[in-house]
Amino acid sequence: MIIVGGLKFGAIYALAALGIVVIHKATRTVNFAHGAFVLAGAWATYGVVEVLKIGYWPAYVLVPIATGLLAAAVELVMLRPIRRADMFAVITSTIFIGIGLSEVYRLVQNTEMMGLPNPVSGPPIFIGDVIVTKEQIWVFAGAILSGLVGLAIFGYARLGRGLRAMAANPRGAVLCGYSADAMNAMAWFLGGALAGLAGVFAAPSKGISPDLAISMITAGFVAAVIGGFDSLRGALLGGLILGIAETLAAGYVSSAMKNAVSFLLLFVVLLWRPQGLFPEARIRDV
Amino acid sequence: MSSGSLRAAARVLAPSACLLAVAVIGLLFGTYWQYVVAISITAAVIGSALAMLVAYARCITIASGAMMAIGAYGATVPVVHGNVPFLPALGFAILLGAIAGLVLAIPGVRFRSHNLAMVTLVFQAVVIIILRESKALTGGAEGINVPPPVVFGHAFAGDAEFLLLCGLLCALAVLPMAVLLEGPFGKNLRALASNENAARAFGIDVSHHLVAAFTWSSALIAFAGAISAPRFRIIDPDSYGILTSIFTLAYPIIGGMGSIWGGLVGGGVLRAIPELLRPLADYIELIFCALVVGTLAFFPEGAASLIRTRRRSRRAQTGLGPRAERGSLSAASMAEALKGADPRPSRGGEGTSPDAPILTIESVSRSYGAMRAVAGVSLSVPARSLHGLMGPNGAGKTTLFNIVSGFISADEGRVRLAGAPLDAIPIERRIGLGMTRTFQHAAVFQRLSCLDNVMIALGRNTVLQATVRSISAALNSAAIRSERRAAMAALEAVGLVARAAEAAGALSLGDQRRLEIARAIVSRPQLILLDEPVSGLSKEEAQRLRELLLAINRELGIAMVVIEHNIGFLVSLCDRISVMSEGKIIAEGDAASVVADPRVRHAYFGEREAAA
Repeated sequence: MIIVGGLKFGAIYALAALGIVVIHKATRTVNFAHGAFVLAGAWATYGVVEVLKIGYWPAYVLVPIATGLLAAAVELVMLRPIRRADMFAVITSTIFIGIGLSEVYRLVQNTEMMGLPNPVSGPPIFIGDVIVTKEQIWVFAGAILSGLVGLAIFGYARLGRGLRAMAANPRGAVLCGYSADAMNAMAWFLGGALAGLAGVFAAPSKGISPDLAISMITAGFVAAVIGGFDSLRGALLGGLILGIAETLAAGYVSSAMKNAVSFLLLFVVLLWRPQGLFPEARIRDV
Repeated sequence: MSSGSLRAAARVLAPSACLLAVAVIGLLFGTYWQYVVAISITAAVIGSALAMLVAYARCITIASGAMMAIGAYGATVPVVHGNVPFLPALGFAILLGAIAGLVLAIPGVRFRSHNLAMVTLVFQAVVIIILRESKALTGGAEGINVPPPVVFGHAFAGDAEFLLLCGLLCALAVLPMAVLLEGPFGKNLRALASNENAARAFGIDVSHHLVAAFTWSSALIAFAGAISAPRFRIIDPDSYGILTSIFTLAYPIIGGMGSIWGGLVGGGVLRAIPELLRPLADYIELIFCALVVGTLAFFPEGAASLIRTRRRSRRAQTGLGPRAERGSLSAASMAEALKGADPRPSRGGEGTSPDAPILTIESVSRSYGAMRAVAGVSLSVPARSLHGLMGPNGAGKTTLFNIVSGFISADEGRVRLAGAPLDAIPIERRIGLGMTRTFQHAAVFQRLSCLDNVMIALGRNTVLQATVRSISAALNSAAIRSERRAAMAALEAVGLVARAAEAAGALSLGDQRRLEIARAIVSRPQLILLDEPVSGLSKEEAQRLRELLLAINRELGIAMVVIEHNIGFLVSLCDRISVMSEGKIIAEGDAASVVADPRVRHAYFGEREAAA
């Protein structure tokens, strides 16, 4: 029963991790602003539900587009001029862009925490002894499904070919006629859209607050590390593993252990298996 | 005291003097100002500590909030619970900070960039959780009351007297940081941030240096946390959270990455702004973020760089810039100049006869998976000789160099330098043995001056040695002066003496190659490995470099092994040439016979050409 709850959060982490990995694969940038994109997604969901009052369902379509555009704008306007410098500058910028976005939220909303009602309600379902709420099923299925869609876009569509080419050899891809700027923006759009979706799914159960940004960047990063940081499937599985481990720790040890467990996983994986549990098969150039 | 000694002393004392002066000026104003000045002086200390990690070593750390908390609680808890006097408690807090830095860095420095940033973030979060959970000691989330510091029986409760105490202690605390950053230790950090491999080749142990940097900077941040705690009257874990860490990270970035001053000024000013501009207080975080991103995009060296750039352009306008006096000496006089410098003892040469080979490679192999990059190569290079190594791309030449210089280990075989086996010696300890190298892609330390580049190549770069040499540099001792002379002589030998003070990154590729050679010869080795020394150079530059290498070989008797694709260059430089193909040496001999060898033509031009 605990595992079921873990799977729900795990699926949300998986979405966040997937976005981090997509951006990292295509643009070699570790995006520390990703948690803020998730917050932006949750906030936009609030806008759709409570301000526009057009119901919860449109959020699943509108929010990813909005956060995708936000992410692409961040890449084009802020990161493109910095990319010429080194990794240090790019990573530091994403840290501060993330904090800046959270600050905008705090200044505009002027509140610490906002909540949203669940989009799915109704009596829980019994599968044997296990109680499963409809919300859990919806979040898990919806998040995993949209993660798989993102995976498919990256893997098969024409856009995906360009992104993968950028990932494998940026200069070669540019020589083959792909525009580096367009491809970078596309990767950020896709990553931002995945983050936004994570926000839509997370908003009802995790609440909307700057803390959401910090908890999601940590969880997304840890899930990505578990998966090997460059593997999309690994990120999906990493998210689920983290979700289950967190809820198990919270259920059987203490709620303070919930945070510790993700840090423990991060250390264990980084120290003993830096290539992740599900590394991409790849040929190293010698 | 000579003017050089005065200048060296002034440079390391200036930050302390400046903090003290600001504190004294603060005394002239009202109590609120005294509070603001005291807080911003401690922030300046934090900025200077972060300058070491962020500006010099270019590590992203998000743990400074935790280090401040460790200092604040480390000094407060013994006072509150144990009636310990303030100064011993402060010492305890600093020690605790240093230990925390060690604990963070020992696993942390295996990683770089984003992973290291994440590990520091984890450390930060864990420290805050621990502080919040240990309610008995720390008061938990509610916090703990901090009494005013009592020193020698006197309670520094008033704003003015506290400011004075704070200014004095901060001035003292920042002094070691200034000594380290202005001296060889800081330069080693810059070197490893700019090119880890080249840094290791010159004896800089990257992990040791990063651990030391984390330890020093954490101790200093803990000090700042401890000294500022009494001003807040009450401290709680949440005021040292992730946001605090991130905003302190902004200090050296906005202030400037060029020196300790960026962190000092950045910390002092940025911490004071929200106190002074109350109406802006709500927006201050957003303004910080915009400042950081703007700085990184438009002035990556920070605010301080603006001043320096302007000064440099003014100097260029008056025609007194270093370029104006640039000239080149003849090859013979270059070598003559270097001979005059006091040579460093090189252990490798002791007890070897003049004709013995300086380098012996005995059936060395190295495989990557199924591919044998180097397959049973044996090679013997006589002392004082010039040996060429050529072969098509992927023949294993650079892999062989990397094995000989110690970057990678051989699966089989053995490498001897002047008869002594090298295999068990880690690369960082090889600098004094009499072998140096250059890199395929010119690997100068971009952000250091040419002089500093060459001084690093003298060796003596363990953390302990670098620390001692930093103190020595602050005192302008005879040892450091003789190092400087040796480095200037090496620069003179390669014709770069006029550009000694310029950043190496500002040199043309040809001059960067020359600088690499100055670095390679300054420790007076018996053997230099040169990896494609003329790639990317014009014909004329290559010609000048050839003359330089010949002069160095002739005048100083240094043997060289040269990898080069430019066969004309290789033939005109070397006594003997070996040709590698697919991991093996396929031909060896004097230049003409090797070039004429059909096996060599086959390796280069393939089946058809050989048949024709």
